[in-house]
Amino acid sequence: MDPFFLWLEATPLSVWVRESTSVMAFPAILSAHAIGMGLAAGINSALALRLLGVARGVPVRELRRFVPLMWLGFWLNAASGALLLIGYPTKALTNPVFYLKLSFIALALWTYRITSRRVFAREVDQTELAAVSAGGGTVGVVVTQEAVKLRTLAFVTLMSWTGAITAGRLLAYTYRRLLASW
Amino acid sequence: MVDFQIWLVSTFARATPVARLMHTAWAWPIAESVHFIGLSLLVGMIFLFDLRLLGMAQRIPIGALHKLVPWGVAGFAMSFFSGILFLMAEPDQYVYNPAFQSKVLFMVAAGLNASLFYLTSYRRVTAAGAPALAPRSARLIAVASISLWISVIIAGRLLTFYRPAPCGAEGPGVLAQCLPNYYR
Repeated sequence: MDPFFLWLEATPLSVWVRESTSVMAFPAILSAHAIGMGLAAGINSALALRLLGVARGVPVRELRRFVPLMWLGFWLNAASGALLLIGYPTKALTNPVFYLKLSFIALALWTYRITSRRVFAREVDQTELAAVSAGGGTVGVVVTQEAVKLRTLAFVTLMSWTGAITAGRLLAYTYRRLLASW
Repeated sequence: MVDFQIWLVSTFARATPVARLMHTAWAWPIAESVHFIGLSLLVGMIFLFDLRLLGMAQRIPIGALHKLVPWGVAGFAMSFFSGILFLMAEPDQYVYNPAFQSKVLFMVAAGLNASLFYLTSYRRVTAAGAPALAPRSARLIAVASISLWISVIIAGRLLTFYRPAPCGAEGPGVLAQCLPNYYR
């Protein structure tokens, strides 16, 4: 991998991310990464909390209005994260914790996908969600199973974002090599 | 102000058990993780509520969505208390740091803005039969809330880039000794 790292670290974009003293370089990228994190993890957590029984007066399907903003946060982080990766490829790609972070993000995306299909799609029977609102168990066995499924997914979503954020913070402490050229 | 800062730094510097704990291998990264998880909760819950006030998702009753706000406040508490640990462990990295000073100002403003919402608008927008669109004053408060919290995050991320430069002095008196005009 070293030849690839050496090549990438020598590209003008990589050097700019690392060495530019402009506040629009590294500081702006980090700020964007934190704001995007808040939007993506935060809005997805709001949906998860609703499915776990918080704010039961909120019609679940209406939360889809906020989904574009969650994706805005996600893509803001994909872009700012790509820039950080281009700046320090060796630091990230030689650290197992970086792959752990990506796995947690993948898990969060996967649970979101399953959840959104179940709760946002037009065909979803609103009585299924009513079971979630009413705490499950009151409508019938089949419905309760659906409610349990949604709550499990919501719990996994919350845990995935917690894991992704923690792994992300640990990146600053667990890397073994900063740059291939060192 | 400088005297207050020196007092603050020397007061925090006396909290040596906190500093010792924070400088163990895991404490700082764990506190940082808590800080960022709290940030995400705050942004998620508070921004959704603000955006609802601004007219998004008008089929959600404002009062019902407000039930998410305590979770945002819990997120703030997570960030606040982990932040206090950083401050107590490394006071002169923060107290003399212009990014930190801006961050505190933005947080105070965000707090006052939230108080203004509860004093002037909360009852009106959550009352039974309240119109789906919040009044202009509440919408202005929502814009201020989003802008101020984004400013808090940006100032927080800028902290590392505005650390006071070493000038040969250390400890609580660092600013007095490093500002040439202070004892003019």
